[in-house]
Amino acid sequence: MSESYDEIMQLLCDRLSSMTNSSVQVTADTNLISQLSIDSIKLLNLIMEIEDTFDVSIPINALADVQTVRQLADLVQKIKSAS
Amino acid sequence: MSSTITKLNAPLTQAFDFQPSGEQLTPTPTLNTLTQQLAGFDTLTSALEYAAEGITGYNFYDARGNLRSILPYRLLKQNARTLAQRLFGFNLPRGSRVAIIADTSPEFVELFFACRYAGLVPFAMPIPVNLGSHAIYVQQLRGMLESSQASIAVANLDYVGFLEEASAGVANIHWVGTPGGLNDFPALDVELQSNHPDETAYLQFTSGSTKTPRGVIITERALMCNLQGIVRNGLEIKPEDRSASWLPFYHDMGLVGLVLAPMVTQISVDYLATRDFAIRPLQWLRLISRNRCTIAFSQPFGLKLCAMRVRESDLKDLDLSCWRAAGIGAEMIRPETLRIFAEKFSSAGFNENAFLPCYGLAESTLAVTFSKLGKGCKGIHVDSKTLIDKRVVTRLQADGRKQNEFVNCGRPLPGHVVKIVDEDGNQLSEMMVGSVLVQGDSVMTGYFNNPEETDKALKSGNWLDTGDIGFLFEGDLFITGRRTDVIIVNGRNIRAQDIEELAEQQPEVRSREASAFGVNDEDGTTTIVLVIECRLTAVTERQSLITRLQQLVYMAFGVNCVVELVPPHTLPRTSSGKLSRFAARQGYIQRTNLTGQLTFVESADR
Repeated sequence: MSESYDEIMQLLCDRLSSMTNSSVQVTADTNLISQLSIDSIKLLNLIMEIEDTFDVSIPINALADVQTVRQLADLVQKIKSAS
Repeated sequence: MSSTITKLNAPLTQAFDFQPSGEQLTPTPTLNTLTQQLAGFDTLTSALEYAAEGITGYNFYDARGNLRSILPYRLLKQNARTLAQRLFGFNLPRGSRVAIIADTSPEFVELFFACRYAGLVPFAMPIPVNLGSHAIYVQQLRGMLESSQASIAVANLDYVGFLEEASAGVANIHWVGTPGGLNDFPALDVELQSNHPDETAYLQFTSGSTKTPRGVIITERALMCNLQGIVRNGLEIKPEDRSASWLPFYHDMGLVGLVLAPMVTQISVDYLATRDFAIRPLQWLRLISRNRCTIAFSQPFGLKLCAMRVRESDLKDLDLSCWRAAGIGAEMIRPETLRIFAEKFSSAGFNENAFLPCYGLAESTLAVTFSKLGKGCKGIHVDSKTLIDKRVVTRLQADGRKQNEFVNCGRPLPGHVVKIVDEDGNQLSEMMVGSVLVQGDSVMTGYFNNPEETDKALKSGNWLDTGDIGFLFEGDLFITGRRTDVIIVNGRNIRAQDIEELAEQQPEVRSREASAFGVNDEDGTTTIVLVIECRLTAVTERQSLITRLQQLVYMAFGVNCVVELVPPHTLPRTSSGKLSRFAARQGYIQRTNLTGQLTFVESADR
């Protein structure tokens, strides 16, 4: 049930690599906007997958402070541990 | 990072406290106990006083399709009146503005009506939807707070932090807080006065610009006039109607069409938050199916999302045969989008004759034209070459010639007139393409506190220049192109000027040296192009500027864009030195050899 932080990070990196299909090596420091060009449809898909995989609900206001993969992983971790 | 963490605590506590204690909620019924009145009121509060005598109202659903709260009109009236008496504690002059971040919640609706009971003017502000948008979002809020000279600003726990940041140092603001915070004020024993039809009912902001936000002033009279047209002529609302909506409350179609129109006809509505729809669009269709809803509106983009996400297994549980009016508006309608949707959902009982294309804009409250109920989407095939060469529409004679298909958006609401004019303002005859102008009682009185923009939009005789391009045929309006100053990407309206402003905030970019516009590819997908006159020569500096601009545009508007750096004096200017977006776009298209992209007629950049 409780994925470790590393597992969350690994899953995000894997999903993002296949989703963006780019040459960029996705790491914790990868910028979702400038390096991966996540558009609004990809973002919605990603949120849906995160919510279904981790059984959480991502508050939309929190995304305003997310720019890197690490910030996204921190967010998921934070929500998971609160639920 | 710590700021993210602390801010997160708030929404979480709220989300989990919200669960009602095991008590089963029942949605408000479709059939009312009250005789239906179709917007026969002079003000919003008198409409609510009437609706409150019945048993219908608003229902709010969560992402999983569970009913989370209900707000019957009866309860809305009580809560709004009490809240109005609390607002009197601020001792504000009549007509003072109240800014509300409008998430899809009962609290927003209560406060909106409380403002009207207290003689105050509410306006809805958007919620932040883009990755990394924090700083830019706060800037946009601040622009609206300053332009409206708002006295009070309210947001729920999820968003109040942004609002506090935005209002720091803004003159006029007396109080910033949450709906819960407002409830701590005592309800004063003040007699509530009725409003006058000439008073401003609310403001509708149409742009996130920080320099020139435009808050459309809608009076009670204009609102009721538009609502009457919508519910009597456009939709022919009946007692057995029920609506379902995911449209944001901060958009005119969401607010006027799916919050106010149902209330002034005393019908029930089922709401899904926009975010929840965007992630799981089928929840909207499930609501329609389950609650037997008859009226639901969407932008074409919403239909596209539904068609993209649906699986065969979803279809068997849906019965959309109840859906009699599927209103389509807010962006250019491509017949193909509707066809794909109808094909996907016909096995679930969706009737394509339910499609109801409409045309409108916030500057005319909401609606201008409606097509005929129950007739579906009617298109006209026209010859592309005569359209481009002569700006005249001819119906396609022979197969094989290049053609365009445009959607019939129907006729103006009663009491409204649409005319098509050329660049010099001369009225054009039918089948000739030009700027679309509207006249009638739904037209705004102006932009709040912004005479300059008002003058550009309102021509003599109170004709509203919509900025859109189209033609009339047998009295019906067809839109051939939206205004060049608004770019619509994935259902979002983005003002070109707002993008240019962002670019001009960069030290390398001088003012009037950035031009933004949209180009469409074959399947109708719009890409934003930002052309910058640039003096930088070093490759790394140029690349850094491009990356930074793309990131900023993304954070502000949630879309990717193409940035092209060109030498100074490349961008075409008018004789007065103003950049012409139309010419900039034509130039870009020629440089990049995009085919079939030349626009027919230049519209006035507003």
